[in-house]
Amino acid sequence: MRRLYVGGLSHLITEKDLKDRFGKFGKVEDVELRTRKDEDGVPYKTFGYINIDISDVDLKKCLTVLNKSKWKGGTLQIEMAKESFLHRLAEERQAATEQCLKPPKAEDKRQKLLDSLSKAGVENFTMKAAVPGTEIAGHKDWIVSKFGRVLPVLQLRCQKGNKARTLKYDPSKYCHNIRKLDRDATVEPTPVTQLTWEVQGGDDDISKKRRGEFPPYQPPRPKKSRTNVVNSCNTAAKTKPSQIVEAVNPTEAHRFKNGFLQSTNQRATHRRGAYLNDGDVDSDEEIRRLVEAQQISHSALQQVSEDDNLEVVGFDYLKSGKKGRSEDKNEDDYDSADTDELFASRKPPPPPPQKKSAPPIPEQLTENNTDRRKKRLKRKGKAGGQEEDEEDLLDADEDLTCWKSSTTVQRRDASKQNCQTKGGISEKQSNEMADLPLSESDFSDDEDEDEEELDSDDSCSDSDYEGMFSNVTHLEISLADLQRLAEENQETSDTTAPSILSTGLEQKTNLPSGPTEQPAPKKGTLPEDILAAILEDNSSEDEQGRKKGKRKGVITSLPAFQGTRALNQGLDEFMKAQKEQDERRDVKKQKLDSAAQLNPRATTSGTTNQQKHTETKKTPESRHKDMEEQKRKGDVVKDMPATKGLKGTPSEAETVSSSSNSSSDDDGEHGDEKEGGKSLQAAVTAKASLLSSSSSFEEDEEKSTQDPVKAAPSTASDSDSFSSDEDEKEEHSLPRVSLKAEDEEEQQRKANMRRLAAVQQRQKEAEEHKKLIQGALANPDAQKAGAGKHIVFGSDDEDDEEEVETTSEISTSKKPLFQEGQSDDDSTSDEAPSNQNNRNIEKERLKPSGPQLFGGSDAEDDGDEKEDGGRFDIRPQFEGRAGQKLMELQSRFGTDERFRMDSRFLEDDEKKDEESEGKDSMTQDDEALEQERKKNLDILQSVLGSSQQTSSKTSSKAKTFRDVSSLHYDPSKEEHAAFETTADESKESKSARKKKREEAQKLPEVSKEIYFDVSGDLTTMFGLTKSDVPGQEENTTWDQEKEEEAGGQDEEPTLLSSAPTADLNADKEESAGFKFSFFGDDTETENKLTAEYKVESIQTPKASWQQDPRFQDSSSDEDEDEQEEEEEPTSTATKMREEEKETPSKVNLFFFHPEDIRLTEGPRLFCRSTQLENQREQWEERRNELRQEYRKKHKNARRKLKSSQQR
Amino acid sequence: MRPLTDEETKIMFEKLSKYIGENIKLLVDRPDGTYCFRLHNDRVYYMSEKILKLATNISRDKLVSVGTCFGKFTKTRKFRLHITALEFLAPYAKFKVWVKPGAEQSFLYGNHVLKSGLGRITENTMQYQGVVVYSMADVPLGFGVAAKTTQECRRVDPMSIVVFHQADVGEFIRNEDTLT
Repeated sequence: MRRLYVGGLSHLITEKDLKDRFGKFGKVEDVELRTRKDEDGVPYKTFGYINIDISDVDLKKCLTVLNKSKWKGGTLQIEMAKESFLHRLAEERQAATEQCLKPPKAEDKRQKLLDSLSKAGVENFTMKAAVPGTEIAGHKDWIVSKFGRVLPVLQLRCQKGNKARTLKYDPSKYCHNIRKLDRDATVEPTPVTQLTWEVQGGDDDISKKRRGEFPPYQPPRPKKSRTNVVNSCNTAAKTKPSQIVEAVNPTEAHRFKNGFLQSTNQRATHRRGAYLNDGDVDSDEEIRRLVEAQQISHSALQQVSEDDNLEVVGFDYLKSGKKGRSEDKNEDDYDSADTDELFASRKPPPPPPQKKSAPPIPEQLTENNTDRRKKRLKRKGKAGGQEEDEEDLLDADEDLTCWKSSTTVQRRDASKQNCQTKGGISEKQSNEMADLPLSESDFSDDEDEDEEELDSDDSCSDSDYEGMFSNVTHLEISLADLQRLAEENQETSDTTAPSILSTGLEQKTNLPSGPTEQPAPKKGTLPEDILAAILEDNSSEDEQGRKKGKRKGVITSLPAFQGTRALNQGLDEFMKAQKEQDERRDVKKQKLDSAAQLNPRATTSGTTNQQKHTETKKTPESRHKDMEEQKRKGDVVKDMPATKGLKGTPSEAETVSSSSNSSSDDDGEHGDEKEGGKSLQAAVTAKASLLSSSSSFEEDEEKSTQDPVKAAPSTASDSDSFSSDEDEKEEHSLPRVSLKAEDEEEQQRKANMRRLAAVQQRQKEAEEHKKLIQGALANPDAQKAGAGKHIVFGSDDEDDEEEVETTSEISTSKKPLFQEGQSDDDSTSDEAPSNQNNRNIEKERLKPSGPQLFGGSDAEDDGDEKEDGGRFDIRPQFEGRAGQKLMELQSRFGTDERFRMDSRFLEDDEKKDEESEGKDSMTQDDEALEQERKKNLDILQSVLGSSQQTSSKTSSKAKTFRDVSSLHYDPSKEEHAAFETTADESKESKSARKKKREEAQKLPEVSKEIYFDVSGDLTTMFGLTKSDVPGQEENTTWDQEKEEEAGGQDEEPTLLSSAPTADLNADKEESAGFKFSFFGDDTETENKLTAEYKVESIQTPKASWQQDPRFQDSSSDEDEDEQEEEEEPTSTATKMREEEKETPSKVNLFFFHPEDIRLTEGPRLFCRSTQLENQREQWEERRNELRQEYRKKHKNARRKLKSSQQR
Repeated sequence: MRPLTDEETKIMFEKLSKYIGENIKLLVDRPDGTYCFRLHNDRVYYMSEKILKLATNISRDKLVSVGTCFGKFTKTRKFRLHITALEFLAPYAKFKVWVKPGAEQSFLYGNHVLKSGLGRITENTMQYQGVVVYSMADVPLGFGVAAKTTQECRRVDPMSIVVFHQADVGEFIRNEDTLT
């Protein structure tokens, strides 16, 4: 069996094809097809392996036939292949097993030896009763030695000096050396169990491990990440390997230097796989795993980069199409490549659904995430403070309080915070648990709360959980810590009341001590640091989130929390309401409910609340109380200032803070923040900038909106800006919204005002217009002559002057004016009213700033009017070119007023002038530019070639497009004539075509009938039709002519024995005449020939002959020159014709009418006009000439041939 | 400053048509006013008629630049596109290439675009087709010439050049003195 490689297959070939193809040469056992595909999945190579049972000859044949042959679009390439490795493996295995089965050869030999020995009487190498020294038969080298043992004779080779020789050691000769072995029987072998040894040891770990008893696997505990002075060295030492591993990334290494965190801020993609390396990093395995994970992530990264490397878009690709994406990318797009890493690390992993880019995940979740991020930022600051504290380890109490503050802060949000709090707690615990027993209870309380929160969190969808996972970077908290925590929880969970008390106490102490404990963090300096802090928090959070599942199982009882809840139930209710609100912010009802619930809360919290309210009312935010939501939010917001204010008085602060801590988380937080001091603000601002740069747009928006608000209450606004919880967010955002709304309202109001003002103005204007018109119309009635006169006289000159400039607008009203002027000259004031009217209009014209009666007129007019106004001051009459012309005109007539030149005289000129003036200046450049443009376009067209044309075509098409549905036939339009004509023509043509087709179809049938009818024998026809013919024959003219030349009558009997009539006679004469004309003497023979010929020819070519006889006629007398050759055919043809002509005419006059022209003319073609002798002479001459010519040519040709041969 | 000769116009249009095709028409025949090309110091400037008129007040030897420089004619009378024309050509570009953020900088330093830096490309881009290079955020970065067709781009190895560098916005800084 052989294995062949078959390459160059097309992609469509199946295994069966191959099998069939190769089946001819041998038995194909197995076909294996392989297809190589590129990254797009397009196959570019197909080959196969064939296991075939084939003989050498066949193989050769196969190779010669198929190799490099074309098959289905590919060139086959066949080569011998190695055996399939599987096959080989199988074979090897089989061989191995076979070999195992087979006894080895040595044994074989031995067996043989034993056999042969036994044959010789040796059993088990002993020969009893044999004298030592006796050789064993058949075995040369075996000899019997002492005790009857059969031993081999040894040939020993020894080298002494130069000589090498062999010594023969015959055991029989040295038999005294040999002891008897089997004297003391056989020693019992010790059992295996006794061979082993046992390690004695205690119960300690090492000894257990030695014994192979390993403790059940415990998930590694997170490391104590926050620096505890004692532990920091250890942790540093521990994490060193990981650092080394991770130092691949320089920025990350930098982060480690902070000592703030170890780890994990690998690139975004790394983080995905990073959950692998939770737990201690100190073991080699861990390190290896780390490296692996990194490599994996690296490769994944590379793969990803290679995979979605290229994106091909169509021409119609738009930016807006991928807005979200571009938004995402906005962050890093404008930074140089160096900062890429930084960005990558800063951004949470892209795929997880936390980002805004992931719509499908419930809103809550996304909110959570964003919140968390924000919180991270915030906490970072705090953590920084804590860190410092811890590093200093100034005071245990301080630490405790600090921790408290952190825990209280961490309680803020139910669902999200838990992780963080635990992170903080664990740290704290590791630091402070031993020192402060009191804190344990407190902590446990908090913890319990957290636990419950965790539970609730767990109830959330898994997606949430996974979302958190996706953020996971590294586990820092050791397992031991966690365990301890759990234990403590369990311990303290029993003692509820004290815990509550302690919480209360702690919280009380918490706030006042806050400010001292939280110094300004020194962190905002480097972006990396900040990032590190953020990520650290993040990681710890997530870690906790992951732990929580396990922990949940451990801790079940949560009495402490219930106690606290019982204490502040109202507040809790409020919290719940808030939560609900978080979930469905949009529903107003909920808000109303919460508002309702706010009241009981107010009662419970009693004085403090009242205080808050009173204080809040003072705050500027209190203005937005119009809407209910806003009101509610305002209240919530007011809480913060309230706490702020209370802070000043420590006694009150305690109560407030306690309530706020337990109830509204944000309040507590704000308090903390405030206590944290304004010193934080610097850092805060730094963070703010970071936030703005990295976080979502919403935040930015909010910020921008907030900025003005910030100015007034600095701390509050700061806390606002860094509120990270959803609750807080909402609460803060809502006031912001309200602020925004207010702003908007104000703007709207302003806008409305403006609009109103504009409307009013318009109305006013309209009214004024009305008034003006009314006045204009009313005035003529009211003031009559006096005013008119006054105006007439006073404004006479002016009028004249104006008249020159009057524009087209007033030209209508000018005519009367002009007349009036003339009438004035005549000193008649009859037309006062009209004058008055004009006057009014002119007034209006004169003051362009005032309200215009015809304000709606064109801008041109306005401009003109203005011009007029301007010119009015000067002597405008003869201004400009038009004026000059006018002046010239008028100068001809002197100053005679009757011939005063009017604008009417000038209008056309003026306009033209203006136009020309304008054009003179404009056109020169414009035309040049226009020309240039055209030229450019021409060139462009030439450059672009056809493409440009096509585009223009399309445009023209688009222009000419008409809606067909709206098109109606209008007979009056010439264009539409096309419609009618085309329609008719098409119809006609159709019908015509049909007819033609029908005709074409019919025609052949007709012809067939004819064909069949006509066929018949001449003899029978002759017999039948004799009697009918004679009259016609006699009529023919040419017959008569021929009769003169007609020869003897003796031929009658020869031709037709049964034709006695004169008609036949005539016929014979005719034919004889024919013969005579051609051949003269030998008519008789010819006649016979023709007669014989006749019988044959009539039957066959009848159809063609009948169809067009004239054509054949023409063929008969073609060339006189070649008469010689054509003599016979022509004669026969004519014969035939004559015969036919006679016969049909006799039978029925189907083809020829009586006195047919053809009958008269046709025969003429056959007869000579000249005499036969003449013709013969001519022919003789001609023949001689032709012969001579031919000879000449022949001679010439010969000569040429000869000459060519000679040459 | 003078209008371009026919030959010059042709050369320039041929070059421009590589990038924006028949959209040149939109540059020449603009609805918002008359715009024209002017040659000054071997450079082609694109300006509105208004600016053209204003520029007539300045003597030729004192005039450094007017309007927008589209490019210059080399001594061999070839037209070389300047990055300043990007603003006008980018909106009309027919074939575009988007460059990944990582490769952006490399391109802006005057290097060709490698396959590894190619983020997105217009389909059916022919070889040696003029393309406008964009960042992934759709910010035009410069001009290039496609070294490979779109189909080839899919297949080539990551280090092969897919777009030849022609001009990039980095020139605004690098060639600040000569860019007018």
